[in-house]
Amino acid sequence: MGRLLKIYMPFASNELKRQLAYRGAFYLFIITSLFSSFISYYLWMAVYGSSGQGVLGGLTQNEMVVYIFMVYVTSSIVTVSLSTWVSDDVVQGTVAMNLIKPIDYRLSLIAKALGRVSFQFLAPAVFVWIGLEIYKVTVLDMAPVSVMGVVLYLFSSGMSFLLFVLFDFCFGMIAFFTTYIFGLRMVKEALLGFLTGQLIPISFFPEAVQRVFGFLPFSSMIYTPVMIYLGKYTGRTLAFMLLRQGIWVLALYGLGSLIWKMVTKRLVVLGG
Amino acid sequence: MNACKRYMRLYRVLAAQFFKTVMQSKVDFLMGLFGFFFTQIMGIAFLYLVFDQIPSLQGWTLDQLIFIYGFAQIPRGIDHLLTDNIWLVAWRLVLNGDFDRYMLRPMNIFFQIIAEKLQPDALGELLVGAILVVRSLAKGIVTVDAAHVVLFFVSVMAGALIYTSIKLFFAALAFWLKTSGPFLQVAYQMSDFAKYPTEIYAKGVRFLITWVIPFAFVAYLPASFFLKSGAGAGVIGFEWVIAIVFWCIAYYVFNRGIRVYESAGN
Repeated sequence: MGRLLKIYMPFASNELKRQLAYRGAFYLFIITSLFSSFISYYLWMAVYGSSGQGVLGGLTQNEMVVYIFMVYVTSSIVTVSLSTWVSDDVVQGTVAMNLIKPIDYRLSLIAKALGRVSFQFLAPAVFVWIGLEIYKVTVLDMAPVSVMGVVLYLFSSGMSFLLFVLFDFCFGMIAFFTTYIFGLRMVKEALLGFLTGQLIPISFFPEAVQRVFGFLPFSSMIYTPVMIYLGKYTGRTLAFMLLRQGIWVLALYGLGSLIWKMVTKRLVVLGG
Repeated sequence: MNACKRYMRLYRVLAAQFFKTVMQSKVDFLMGLFGFFFTQIMGIAFLYLVFDQIPSLQGWTLDQLIFIYGFAQIPRGIDHLLTDNIWLVAWRLVLNGDFDRYMLRPMNIFFQIIAEKLQPDALGELLVGAILVVRSLAKGIVTVDAAHVVLFFVSVMAGALIYTSIKLFFAALAFWLKTSGPFLQVAYQMSDFAKYPTEIYAKGVRFLITWVIPFAFVAYLPASFFLKSGAGAGVIGFEWVIAIVFWCIAYYVFNRGIRVYESAGN
């Protein structure tokens, strides 16, 4: 374990340093990513205003505010475009260098992703989170989150992070078959917006659709930690949700190893 | 007149070159198209889910919102198709000195930038926009008469010009900042606000998207003119005024920027 850390931590810390060097661009990126949170905020406020009902899709208006902004915080912990790194490496051929080094390519990418999300989390998300808690208590008149709630949320988000990067690694493997994954990436992002609960809580979908989503790994990426944060899962449901996340992490790890073995067998890199 | 003819001929030549590269990689083209198409479809699916909960949103029905959404895609798609190269000016052409090549040719520089690339991915947006507008026609929720049909095209052109102006303005900042991609990104993403009726936003946000970065004039305001019979055509006229004012500002800033451009390298 100690040896692993020694090998892979530099990937994480280098990425963190790189992000710090280009933080100007990054802060602007933050503003744009908060845009969509604010658009959904205003939209949902209008929806609740027009509905005349206090509870929609199992969430009260105040819970919806928490939902929207915790989705923001959670996606900054969880999402990182690891598949872009893979496709860049494949297209430029640098993946060959990674094959001859005595390191695990996937682990090095995950370490790099960890560096990236640490920055995403520290730079803006944690402030959004604190701001949200203050807003919750002073304006919305809700109870602040419990310590246990924070611990469970962070634990669940950590698993979501692993789930996401392991999935995105598999997705990035497509680059071995086609060099233009831009279009596919757009499709992936649009689909994930729905399947992870990022755009709209999964409880808004029809019953049958929700059941299908239950069999997919995506709802565990964002919806599960946010619902845990909202205190919607307790006791056995909570244990089940965490277990499901764990199982998906293992399954996607296995799948990734399998695909990696297959593609590296037929890899051709030109030049040297 | 001669100059105009010459530029039209040049544009044909350059666009033809571009089509050749597209035909060379049909799969890429289809995937990009599909990507944009799919993203827009998801936006519509989202509206359906929301309207499952409510009969109308502050007086707007689902069908009306779908029209606004679809209408918004058309000027966006036109601009995206024709002037996508502006993004490269913002991100790297100024930074790495590649902008030199535009300065060396005896042609209008803005013309060269936009003639260099057509973005076929934009057809995905145009397709969705067209489908949704036709759907709204079939539902009979839009006013159809000669004046409205003409004004539809007039408005779409003004909308595309507003998009182009905003892009050009923020891309031109690159002449001073070296790279202005992130700023352009922020401004461009503001257009997402205009997909919904602006009444749902707080006053500050509404002011921002109406007067500062006027995306409300691209989508929501003209779209509501086509939806409500009896509404004044003045809004389309105003859209043109806004488009021309913003174009003049953007083009002026762009030309000032060219003068301070100092290339790169050693």
